[in-house]
Amino acid sequence: MAELTQFFNRQRWQRAATLMMLALLLVLPQWLLHVDFADALFGIGAGWQWLGKNFMPNQAALGDLGEILHQLGRTIVIAVAATSIAGVVALLLALAGAKTTSRLPLVQMGVRLFASCMRNIPFVAWALVLLFSFKQNDFTGFLALFLMTIGYLTRAFVETLEEVPRGVIEALEVTGARYWQIIGQGVLPAVSAPLMSWLLYMIENNIRDATLVGMLTGTGIGFIFDLYFKSFRYPSAGLVVLAIIAVTIAIELTSTKLRQVLAQ
Amino acid sequence: MLTVSHLTKTYPNGKRGLIDVGFSIAPGSVTAIIGPSGAGKTTLLRSLNRLLTPEAGEIQLGNQEMRQLPPRALRLVRRQIGMIFQDYNLIEPLSALENVLHGCLGRKSLAAGMLGLYTKEEKKQALTLLEEVGLGDYALQKAGSLSGGQKQRVGIARAMMQAPQVILCDEPIASLDPASTHTVMTLLKDLAIQHDLMVIINLHQVDLAREFADHILGVNAGRIVFDDGPAALSDEALAHIYAAPEEAAYG
Amino acid sequence: MIETDISSQRRAPHPPAAPHAIANPARKTTRILLASLALITLYALATIAPDNVDLGVAGKSFLHNLDLMFLHPHLGQDTLAQLVDALARSIALALLTTLIGAVIAFGLALFTARNLAPAPLATAMRSLMALIRAIPTILWVLVYATVIGLGTEAAVVGLSFHSVAYLVKAFAESFEAVPQEKLDALRVSGARFGLVIRHALWPSVRPSLLSWTFIRFEINFTNAVAVGAAAGTGGIGYYLFMSSAFYFDFQEVGLIVYLVLAFAILLEMIAVALRKHLAKMV
Repeated sequence: MAELTQFFNRQRWQRAATLMMLALLLVLPQWLLHVDFADALFGIGAGWQWLGKNFMPNQAALGDLGEILHQLGRTIVIAVAATSIAGVVALLLALAGAKTTSRLPLVQMGVRLFASCMRNIPFVAWALVLLFSFKQNDFTGFLALFLMTIGYLTRAFVETLEEVPRGVIEALEVTGARYWQIIGQGVLPAVSAPLMSWLLYMIENNIRDATLVGMLTGTGIGFIFDLYFKSFRYPSAGLVVLAIIAVTIAIELTSTKLRQVLAQ
Repeated sequence: MLTVSHLTKTYPNGKRGLIDVGFSIAPGSVTAIIGPSGAGKTTLLRSLNRLLTPEAGEIQLGNQEMRQLPPRALRLVRRQIGMIFQDYNLIEPLSALENVLHGCLGRKSLAAGMLGLYTKEEKKQALTLLEEVGLGDYALQKAGSLSGGQKQRVGIARAMMQAPQVILCDEPIASLDPASTHTVMTLLKDLAIQHDLMVIINLHQVDLAREFADHILGVNAGRIVFDDGPAALSDEALAHIYAAPEEAAYG
Repeated sequence: MIETDISSQRRAPHPPAAPHAIANPARKTTRILLASLALITLYALATIAPDNVDLGVAGKSFLHNLDLMFLHPHLGQDTLAQLVDALARSIALALLTTLIGAVIAFGLALFTARNLAPAPLATAMRSLMALIRAIPTILWVLVYATVIGLGTEAAVVGLSFHSVAYLVKAFAESFEAVPQEKLDALRVSGARFGLVIRHALWPSVRPSLLSWTFIRFEINFTNAVAVGAAAGTGGIGYYLFMSSAFYFDFQEVGLIVYLVLAFAILLEMIAVALRKHLAKMV
């Protein structure tokens, strides 16, 4: 009985501690930021109203449709290319970094550290530093997306490769197969579904992020949104948003469908 | 002929895996290795194809000494030693046929092997092997969709594809139901006779060893304590093999 | 002997396969997908080279700036205290929006999970959330900055909006992963909906909700930095923007990057500890 009381007491105490922590995590930011919640709440409704009133595409906006679709197409092509190339590089890095496919602990450590750093360097920094050297063009957007993807994919690929059971690799080793034969015929076929799935997910993500990257580097769909928005051509900006919504949802649906097929 | 003498393996943590192990095995026979858990059965099997490297002794396959081979030469000798595993270790998204074809990777050039460019003869041979293990109809089925017994038979076909002199089997039937167990053991026995192979099997079940093996090695605490035919496996001998290990066996 | 065994198995759980005629949809899809990606990439590479920029010169200048950033980080216009304060604000923004998002998302996810809500409602919620998610965070922030004025409020609303939509999807999927029997066990005892949620659903999904919330926190931190730069809502992102696009002081950019990296690595360590803790909870 005493044990039972103790159990519930401890549970109660833990619950109180968790609630305290949560309160602290809410109060601390508020103390720094002084958010006016009344203002923010009012803004939610007002924002939608404002969108409905100003962002409705009109006849004039339709004249920009050609340019919007062109930029959207470029953005998709560049996001796909940047992700695909990052995927190839990340795969090579991951082969050198995964415990299952690499026997050099120092290289494993190096790859992990590199991936972790690349993942966490704010892509704003990449975008702006690249913009300074490569100026405002598609290539800058491409490089920015490439650099921000490589860390994520390397880490994801390392984790995927490490899920290949050691025994599967051993089974090929004992046939006398060479390292690259084992990789090509054993390891890659075993993990191709999750690898492709990560690649698709990253393409999807990069197309979403391309708006932001485009704003910072002055390229693609992000750039023309910024242009229309800042010159108060809201109906055209609204058309850009609609185009982004359509593409994002289409890509999300396609990639979900593809991933289902791949997992079979 | 496979001859092992004075083989000794100590693990980095100081545990003695094998102590002065010696025996020899003739072609066209099935050898069962039995003994209590942790006695060193797996260590012994894995030392034979150098998945583990013992620090002393000799492993003589034909006229080739294996224990001290450098990696390159080791790869060449390994082709002659097939291995099948408890968990089959197939590449599950690939077809049964492709898994069998993996057995000839050791003979192929680097590029052809990496890209999976197999010749017509190799494909024909792999299909014949699948038919031999009774899975001709399943050649293009994904390995992952097969049952346990079928997977193990694909594993056997893969090992046979190496055209080996020796097949090592690490607890090949531990994950199988009784019917599949019988199929797999019979298959191994038939292959040993038909292809003049040395089949070496780690087993937990003494009755299977008695039924299928021509030669039994009893291992206890890293030492060979029984080395004879199944007829000599008396209750007394069994008690000796499965005796609690003496403290002295561990360093 | 073998023959009989095999024929008996052939009839058993696996349907007989038509030999030589099995298409493997997964592999075919992989091939087509890889080929399409390669084609698009080649097309992009062929058309991407900028005509007004000498890539050699630009590359050299980029490497030089990387050298300044990573090997010679240094304070510039701003004091270290200012930068640390700005970093703290970005972290605070991420924390606040994640918590707000998680609480609202939990409530909404109850109406989105197919095993809890009626089907039409679940579908409607799902579509609405997909729609909100399809609009990039930065657009929400820009719109709110226009409506309620440039400032923290716009960033809070904008980031929370996207967090809610993201977490509702994640939470609803976690709810759907709870076996129906677990919920039914309490339902048949006559417990009210709220109590079923509290005593059957909540304990089962707690670890997964926690880990999704943490993932979102990492995303929101990245977004807080980005939004500060692109919409000028303050925080470390704003300083990053000013030092690189306004003062061209890449040494300070480097210092800021290192500050952010230090925090991110701390976060990753927390994430690892959290994952270990969660693994024990399950």
